Amino acid sequence: MELEQIKAIIAMMKENDLSEFSMEQDGLKIRIKRGPEGFQQTVSVPPPAAVPVIVAPSAPTAGVSASPTEAASAQAAAVASDAEIKYITSPMVGTFYRGPSPDAPPYVEVGKQVDEETVVCIIEAMKVMSEIKSEIRGFITEVLVENGKPVEFGQKLFEVRTK
Amino acid sequence: MFDKILVANRGEIAVRVIRACKELGIRTLAVYSQADADSLHVQLADESICIGPGPSAESYLKIDRIISAAEVGDVEAIHPGYGFLAENAHFAEVCENCNIKFIGPPSAAIRAMGDKVAARETMRKAGVPIVPGSEGAVDSEADALKVAHRIGYPVIIKAAGGGGGCGMRAAHNDPSLVKAFHTARSEAERAFANPAVYIEKLIDNTHHIEFQILADRKGKVVHLGERDCSLQRRHQKLLEESPSPILTSDLRKKMGKAAIKAAESVKYVNAGTVEMLLDATGCFYFIEMNTRIQVEHPVTEEVTGIDIVKEQIRLAAGEELGYDQKNIEFQKAAVECRINAEDPFNNFQPCPGRIDFLYTPGGLGVRIDTHVYSGYVIPPTYDSMIAKLICYARDRRTAMDRMARALDEFMIRGVSTTIPLHKLILKDPNFRRGRYSTAFIDRLLAASQPLVPAAKTEEQTLKTQAA
Repeated sequence: MELEQIKAIIAMMKENDLSEFSMEQDGLKIRIKRGPEGFQQTVSVPPPAAVPVIVAPSAPTAGVSASPTEAASAQAAAVASDAEIKYITSPMVGTFYRGPSPDAPPYVEVGKQVDEETVVCIIEAMKVMSEIKSEIRGFITEVLVENGKPVEFGQKLFEVRTK
Repeated sequence: MFDKILVANRGEIAVRVIRACKELGIRTLAVYSQADADSLHVQLADESICIGPGPSAESYLKIDRIISAAEVGDVEAIHPGYGFLAENAHFAEVCENCNIKFIGPPSAAIRAMGDKVAARETMRKAGVPIVPGSEGAVDSEADALKVAHRIGYPVIIKAAGGGGGCGMRAAHNDPSLVKAFHTARSEAERAFANPAVYIEKLIDNTHHIEFQILADRKGKVVHLGERDCSLQRRHQKLLEESPSPILTSDLRKKMGKAAIKAAESVKYVNAGTVEMLLDATGCFYFIEMNTRIQVEHPVTEEVTGIDIVKEQIRLAAGEELGYDQKNIEFQKAAVECRINAEDPFNNFQPCPGRIDFLYTPGGLGVRIDTHVYSGYVIPPTYDSMIAKLICYARDRRTAMDRMARALDEFMIRGVSTTIPLHKLILKDPNFRRGRYSTAFIDRLLAASQPLVPAAKTEEQTLKTQAA
């Protein structure tokens, strides 16, 4: 659900003088209450790791409507910070490889769940192949380096979304 | 000639090496720590690779990462600069094994001169005069006392594993000798992972004279004259000049020959410096050899017109020297002041921080070697030297007048520097007459106490004006 859609719902509620709106769709539940104190919004996202739409990057400030209440933005913001972006960075200088050998499949792809011990790539230096562990718990949202390219110390290799 | 070189260093020397490479048409790869991401050498190099976080032990001293960077960057040679891995024989060996040319002497020569006790013995055998002292390392209090009684007090205890003032302790009598012996050993252990120490006679009030040498792989060695580095504080050089104001041409010939003999005795190749002490009676003694390029190399460059870093690269690429001792001309007098981000009137406390405003002096005969710029933030992680100011002229007097003039123009705002101390040195009549020794700086600092309020007020006024 996009911010625009929520705005549209709120506008519709105002227009039609509705005091409560709730909806369930694709594993997402949303309930908006309109009362004397202004809008309140509860958003709940079910436990399995579905994509939490409300906290999509496009709405980081979580301003839900034209006149968001403190509570609404605070709640939305709270949901936003639950899912953090972290990066797996290179601990050495060398050449980055997605998999253990040229014909083997990559260790990880976008969407793959990783924990601290998961091997995510190989960095080769001086003919020695070092397996690089994730050290972050979450799932891969982006692969930031091309297979076979050189990497330096501290360079971001993978974007990981934690929960 | 090399196509691409990795510069395994930082700060002003990395800038210096990159400049020489650019003029030779050689591509450069800089390595840097995360603390040096905004450093000038990174910006000047053709390519750069981050090799670790700030602390040197996790970046500039990481042999594996530097070699990885060399391979990733496909370089043919590594210039180690000075400090860090420049005199690390193991690093030179790793380069040799990985088929990367180490721009410096063979690892065997680094080892031969790196062990100070072995070096003394090599010099003795080669007929180069050494300071009277112990034959080898001193292993016990009892041995130390025996040596001290044989050569006579005062004595100095030095670390066998390295120089730079670490593990050095003077002693004037038996009780202080015993104390110094143990202190020097623990300091040496910490600095060089080697507690071995040796003892030399402490020759005070000397001139520290060092000779720059160049050697090619065919065994030809020449010297590029001397540098007088007597102005030191706690064994750290502050100012260097060439020619030395007290050397006669006869002494220069004798000491130059001894320096060449020293280099030949370890089959030296590339650039190096032989350090000697000259006492009041005109006797000179070998103390150690630095198997690398030195901080104060610009002094010799301006006197002789020879680009020492380019010579290093040429010699490492296998070229022969191409000239003899008689072709080397000593055309100028030159002096260098090391500008450190320290407060000279507050026990030389380091002053890292942001340089808000920088104006560097110019004009005929003025050279600045630096990596700093307006807005640069000096990190606290490394040594405090931020610039070298070198002035040269046809004679010593003009060079000194020029240095005094240049120091007056030099503005570094935002951090304290040693510029005020250098101004005091240049004003000193004894220094101007060339009458000084290794005791000079301590005496000057003690005597300058009454001048401190005046100097501070000037700095404070400038600070309030700038604020």
